[in-house]
Amino acid sequence: MLRLTRIIGNATEPAIADRLHALDHDGRVETITLDAADTARKRLRVATDKGTDCAVALARSERLANGAVLLLEDARAVVVRMRETVWLALAPRDMAAALELGYFCGNLHWRVRFEGALVKVALDGPRESYLARLAQHLEDGRARLADEGEGE
Amino acid sequence: MTAEAAHAAEAAASAARVGIGGPVGSGKTALIEGLLPLFHARGTSLAIVTNDLVTQEDAERLQRSGLIRPERVVGVEAGACPHTVIREDPTLNIEAADLLERQLRPLDLILIESGGDNLASTFSLDLVDYWMFVIDVSGGGDIPRKRGPGIVRADLLIINKSDLAPHVGVDLVLMQTEASAVRDGRPVLLTNCRTGEGLDRVADHLAHDVLMEA
Repeated sequence: MLRLTRIIGNATEPAIADRLHALDHDGRVETITLDAADTARKRLRVATDKGTDCAVALARSERLANGAVLLLEDARAVVVRMRETVWLALAPRDMAAALELGYFCGNLHWRVRFEGALVKVALDGPRESYLARLAQHLEDGRARLADEGEGE
Repeated sequence: MTAEAAHAAEAAASAARVGIGGPVGSGKTALIEGLLPLFHARGTSLAIVTNDLVTQEDAERLQRSGLIRPERVVGVEAGACPHTVIREDPTLNIEAADLLERQLRPLDLILIESGGDNLASTFSLDLVDYWMFVIDVSGGGDIPRKRGPGIVRADLLIINKSDLAPHVGVDLVLMQTEASAVRDGRPVLLTNCRTGEGLDRVADHLAHDVLMEA
């Protein structure tokens, strides 16, 4: 078990990026892949892509992010990679449908963001589960699927 | 002490926070009562935050239990939907956990029990590092098939009151199988909190997953 108790920095910082680049040449960079929601955890037991059992236990003031470096030694580095959030884009037919759709998403405690006339729902589970809940809105044309994209 | 060592010490001193959710009467408080002696025997320093609607009922029950020192239990009165204070705005619970951590440091584990809710309740990961959801067989064998977010998303699902299955017409093996299926294979444990059956395995999961024991 490898205990990881602090965030050393981020892989995008030039000094760290140089060291990671060198280590990566020798296959000595290990990756922990997390869903976006799981980056809020301060403690988690997780395996790297090379199978190392990691016990992550951070101070409550720390927050994991894409590129967080948890270990940086001559022999090995461990870096967090965050899976991108998948968003389901919905276009309401008119103002009344938009009001209803907004209420509906809120009532189901869905995480949303707004882009122009689109409501984008963060998929925290199977896409089919969300489409099943939206079936009536989609079938009668109050809303339609539009431009499902990815990214934070 | 170097800055790195100080940081490691701060992280090490920060207690794991574990949520316990589930419907009214499923056995959340009984689960805690069953776990307390097990963690005491393991040398785990523990405190508890309970949530009730407009009373301190669960906090007082635990404070009177003799299983834990009363000052190690804090009650939060949600005042509204129980899930509001563990998910949408968990400020009250974060403050309660922070208070316990300041007063009782060093702590290993803080259990945060939600008020009884429905199958849709989930915990914010800003509040807890890990959460369990407790259902019971007398609620019906079909409960896992209903795929409530609490059942699907919890880190650990507990099916309590396993002894009642033959009395309420529930096929326990089928219920556990269906629960595992909707949870994509994540752990499902059977317990009987009255007798303590299955509780060692719950403690083992917490020891491995958040207390970081080997």
